[in-house]
Amino acid sequence: MVLSHTYKTASKSVEKKGISKVQQFFSDDKRFLLVILLPVVLFFLVWNALPTMWMVGMSFYDYSMISATKTAQFIGLENFIYLLGSESVWSSISKTFLFVVLGVGIETILGILLGFLFWNSAKMPGRRLALTLLFSPMILAPIAIANYFKLMTNPNFGVISYIISLFNGGKAIELLTDVNLAFPTCLGVDIWMWTPFMLLMTLAALGSVPKAELEAANIDRLGWGQKFKHIILPHGKYILMLGIMLRTIDCFKTMDLVWAMTTGGPGAATELLGISLYRVAFQSLYLGRASAYALITLLVAIAFTSIFLFILNKKNSEVG
Amino acid sequence: MKKVLSLVVVVLMVLAFMAGCGSGTPATPAAPSDATAPSAAPAQSSTGSTGQGHPLAGKSVTLSILGIGGWLPSALSQQMGEELFTKYAKENYGYDVKVTFAEAPFDSLFQKAATSLASQSNEYNIIISDSQWLGALSEPGWILKLNDLIKANPNLDAEWYSKSAAAAYQNYPDGSSDIWGLPQEADVLIMYVRADLFTDSTERANFKAKYGWDLPSDSSIEQWEDIDFEKYKQICEFFTRPDQGLYGTTIQYSKVYDYLTGSFYPFIWSAGGEIWDPSTRKIEGVLNTEDNAKALALSKSFMQYCPPGAIDVDIAGIVDNYTSGKVATAWQWAAMGGAMTSDKGDTWAVILPGYRMADGTVNRCSSLGGQPWVINAYNTPDQMQVVTDFLNWWYSDETQLEFAKRGGNPLKASVLNSDGFEEIQPWFTAFKYMMQEGNSKDFWHEPTYAELLATQQEAWSQYMAGNDGSVETAKAVLDDVASKQQAIIDK
Repeated sequence: MVLSHTYKTASKSVEKKGISKVQQFFSDDKRFLLVILLPVVLFFLVWNALPTMWMVGMSFYDYSMISATKTAQFIGLENFIYLLGSESVWSSISKTFLFVVLGVGIETILGILLGFLFWNSAKMPGRRLALTLLFSPMILAPIAIANYFKLMTNPNFGVISYIISLFNGGKAIELLTDVNLAFPTCLGVDIWMWTPFMLLMTLAALGSVPKAELEAANIDRLGWGQKFKHIILPHGKYILMLGIMLRTIDCFKTMDLVWAMTTGGPGAATELLGISLYRVAFQSLYLGRASAYALITLLVAIAFTSIFLFILNKKNSEVG
Repeated sequence: MKKVLSLVVVVLMVLAFMAGCGSGTPATPAAPSDATAPSAAPAQSSTGSTGQGHPLAGKSVTLSILGIGGWLPSALSQQMGEELFTKYAKENYGYDVKVTFAEAPFDSLFQKAATSLASQSNEYNIIISDSQWLGALSEPGWILKLNDLIKANPNLDAEWYSKSAAAAYQNYPDGSSDIWGLPQEADVLIMYVRADLFTDSTERANFKAKYGWDLPSDSSIEQWEDIDFEKYKQICEFFTRPDQGLYGTTIQYSKVYDYLTGSFYPFIWSAGGEIWDPSTRKIEGVLNTEDNAKALALSKSFMQYCPPGAIDVDIAGIVDNYTSGKVATAWQWAAMGGAMTSDKGDTWAVILPGYRMADGTVNRCSSLGGQPWVINAYNTPDQMQVVTDFLNWWYSDETQLEFAKRGGNPLKASVLNSDGFEEIQPWFTAFKYMMQEGNSKDFWHEPTYAELLATQQEAWSQYMAGNDGSVETAKAVLDDVASKQQAIIDK
């Protein structure tokens, strides 16, 4: 009370010197928050919201950059009808779903296993080196990784192909050019690249488990399974779920990694949604249809995210 | 305040939605489709010339070329431009020119060019485009129609070695007299052969014993004219020895860009088939014939004679397979002749095998490659003058011969018919033969070519990658492709 009175008195005296207008302006909490948030909101509007709305609008039009002199024609839902009736689009969607489910699933399991290995392992010899090596795939550019693996799996001179051939009677295996092996190979590279991310999320999740509860469990001589079920999982699952959600969204958008390795081939064996969308948008320059395609992709990604958020919110409300 | 802010956000989003739903008619490009044709500067002698009277005399200008990355003929335009055109412009026209070169790989060059031109930029004054893009680049008014320019500059009105090839590089729509490009590099698919294997007496004797006829003994046209696909299959089979790391052939089957298409079309055309009828714009009933299905199956049958990883082999892959000694023969563009014949004496460049017709003759028709120059419609007058001077210089016989000596493939008749042309490069004999009228064809120049191409690349790649190489499956694939392409072209 004294302080605020002092402040008000001071601000009145400052007001007389002409600086108080600024102070007055920022003295309002809401106004201050608005000013802080405004640049971010503007950035979001200009670079995210407005282009998205433009894309949504474009998806109802027949518009190709190549035929730019012709007026874009409103065709309603025709782009969507075409895409949803296209076998190749559904093939891309199903391949992408499979890629996401298997990729994120295996990355999560491996990440959790590795997380437990490094949990509370400060005294493990070589821990830092091991973690550095484990995290390094995550920070490399996907295009670089794709090219490395493309060279390493080349059936004529690749080192991975050579090693496999030693166990295959000297016969080279076409990992990226065999229609049955290309998809699992691309998946394997993605798993190699992003398992460290799930390891990181697991370590964060495990770090959030209260030590006191673990010590109490030790005193009570709880088995590892019971410790995991009653202590570790309840505390760590939210962070882990967040990691799974982020990884799912990212995996869904995979394009550069697979494009550099196979360009969606052989045939359409690795034609994911992102690759298919790229072809329509940037090779055919058919922007109307590409916008519809992008919108479908966005809606599917939103659906994924909504499911996760629903589960998270439900659990939060149960806990609350 | 919250309400006001929310209202502002909603209004902005609605406006954006409506803008996206708007007519979408982009600003009409400022430049007309017919260029104001700058004429060549008065020819000046190289001695004592000050370029007086030339519009650019005394100025410093930049000529920006967009070309294909990792492609010698494109790189030569920069190399020769920097070394020779700069001197020529200074001596003859009295101005300084800086030649800059931007590049992109084949499969992304169109996107680079299109996005620049769509923004009406004059960042690239002259573009080395693919012949199939003429429609896509001309329809939106991004490039100049050159009829008037050629009329004003007689040096550009050259006699071309092959009228049909020249038409492929110049005319859109097909069959019209509208000229949108000038041949920068003529190109055609030919075959490169390991001379050491074909001249080896043991190999020759073993081949004769197995198949009853002699392997060709040199690279002459006469030796290879009678090689049809059946004989070629025998050659490939003979030289396919995986245990020795040797294979009969390497052909482009890659799904990227038009690599698979370029390699497959000779099988169709040599047998007398077509991919579409440009006069009626029919694809269905033209592409998906029984004969074309057999051609597709035949094309796939050669994969068994290729090294592992054949489905992914592109232009660079062909060079790698051949120069590392893995294959006896290779189907490759004449433009890559320098890389393919780097070992000099041990490589022959020969004509492609053909299809034996009912009358016993062998018909061959290769895929036409090559690139035309196209001119940016948004060039300033100064840039347009430089481009005109550059093209006039480029199409002089001296420059075209120099281009040939450095590894490029010209199309000017006076150069190809000059004495000693075939001796300049080892592949020129085969190149000239395949560039003759009727021995090569191009595919569509439609604006929707990218969509048409993507449709068939995916379908054919799937067929090539699969285990079923039957004619019935090939026919089903062609039926599907033809139907989809017909829908695209009828839009």
